Amino acid sequence: MLAGDAEILTRCELPIEVEDDVVVVRRKVKLLAQQRGFDAFATAGVTTATSELTRNVWMHARRGTALIEEILDDGRIGLRVELRDSGPGIPDVPRVLAGGYSTARSLGLGLSGSRRLVDELEIETEVGRGTTVRMVKWTKF
Amino acid sequence: MTRPDPLARLNLDDHELVSRRSFFAIGTDDLERLAALRPFAEQHTDAIIDAFYEMLLAHPETRKFFPDETSVRRVKRVQRDYFLGLFGGVCDRAYAENRARVGATHEHIAMAPKWYLGAYRRYLELLHERLYAHFADPAEANLAYQSAQKLVFFDMSIAIDTYISANIDAIRRHQAAIRELSTPVIRVHDRVLLLPLVGTVDSGRAHQIMETVLTRVTDEQAKVIILDIAGVPVVDTKVAQHLLQTTAAVKLVGARTILTGISAQVARTIVQLGVDISAMDTVSRLQDGIELALAHVGKAITAKGA
Amino acid sequence: MSVAKGSIPILRVGPNLLVTVHIDLHDVVAEAFQEDVLTELEKRRAPGLVIDISGLDIVDTYVARILSETGRMARLMGTETVVVGMRPDVAATLIRMGYAMEGVNTALNVDDGIETLAGIAAGKKTA
Repeated sequence: MLAGDAEILTRCELPIEVEDDVVVVRRKVKLLAQQRGFDAFATAGVTTATSELTRNVWMHARRGTALIEEILDDGRIGLRVELRDSGPGIPDVPRVLAGGYSTARSLGLGLSGSRRLVDELEIETEVGRGTTVRMVKWTKF
Repeated sequence: MTRPDPLARLNLDDHELVSRRSFFAIGTDDLERLAALRPFAEQHTDAIIDAFYEMLLAHPETRKFFPDETSVRRVKRVQRDYFLGLFGGVCDRAYAENRARVGATHEHIAMAPKWYLGAYRRYLELLHERLYAHFADPAEANLAYQSAQKLVFFDMSIAIDTYISANIDAIRRHQAAIRELSTPVIRVHDRVLLLPLVGTVDSGRAHQIMETVLTRVTDEQAKVIILDIAGVPVVDTKVAQHLLQTTAAVKLVGARTILTGISAQVARTIVQLGVDISAMDTVSRLQDGIELALAHVGKAITAKGA
Repeated sequence: MSVAKGSIPILRVGPNLLVTVHIDLHDVVAEAFQEDVLTELEKRRAPGLVIDISGLDIVDTYVARILSETGRMARLMGTETVVVGMRPDVAATLIRMGYAMEGVNTALNVDDGIETLAGIAAGKKTA
């Protein structure tokens, strides 16, 4: 579990049930990031990563949950976002994460691209059972 | 200048307020008890504030915060409001905001927490004396004192939060200043910028360089930015990748990058490493880069009398 | 002068089309946007299309793809596209994700965009 020892300061759970929820979830993340003092670039990074992953849930599972937490660990404050679904799962994670430059319409780019926007990202997935993606972005100060 | 919301800066929303009141065990009975003591408070406020300030003025280090009679009178007025606020019967958002502003005042006078913590202690001592003198029944005096003490501790928590958040703000400002100084973007001409890079470029610095470049290019609507790398000691594959990324980002916002200051050594290294930087405009001499940039905005340098 | 229906108005500026994206592009809106633009290009030829995204604070790969696709589709119909006004944090994010936006040109603002289109059109004439 990403930053499992961290203290949870705030917690917010949002459903992913309609396409508009992608925007709702990312707006919440953007708001929290700005409040916590992330600069424009860091905010855009964590918000866009959230948008990518939430859209993945919508596109591939049509239903899921977003869990957004502000966490504190070792004096640093971070934003932890978890996207969870009971969808088809991801068959070949290493290949998907290898991503790279691509303009192809694929699950891979969203995931590999998002990893570069945040500090930590982990994926739990099982074909036929579902996927949970967790990421953390820490404040610089 | 509009006063910023002191509570927002502290992330003190309604949820947090409720949680904090609960943790400090502040209940409606406490607030009602204190509200009932308002007449008592008004009766004793002048004496308490005076005694409180005697202590501050007696101590050499705190005395210097009050250079003249005017400043003493002004702050006494603020303290009077603070003291009476304890007996307002509320501990709501407005109350917390008011306390946060007092915290802000302290930070403006650069008062370290030890001073106002010591001061709160004196307040409580004075209050204790007078409450026990006021109530015939010591049990009642104790209840009143406990209620006041809870509220004072609540106030201290807000003052300390304010103090800490001000320090964090100062550190952020310093960090921004350092970033600015290490990435000096110069305006060479209308819509032409120049960034001389000096020193090693690691991924952290490259990250920040891209952000500064993009921000300045869009702020000034610069069509061209010249990146001069003559002052970068090592240009390896990683650095080349960083430069390529910055160039790609500048292209996305609609501008163009020209790389200058490429020495023979660097040219050799880049080709031998197999890095393809053909996507970038590159020249060896800065002046050639400047001429190229000017041409891009429809200008040229001509000889005098030509 | 507004020429098409839909959430995102399409304006004529000289021979070119100008679209200002001021709301989040998602699902129905994005597809309608693409539909409206291509329908308009079918009705009346335009050498250039300017898409102003200065109002977009977040551009994920979905939106970037819509823009890219629209550019490539327009190109097939003889129209060159310029995307203008991309914000610094949006550009940095797309590059960091490894996304290269193809099929469109870019410029700083609408004026520069129209200038870019004029340059491309002139280039085509001499080619």
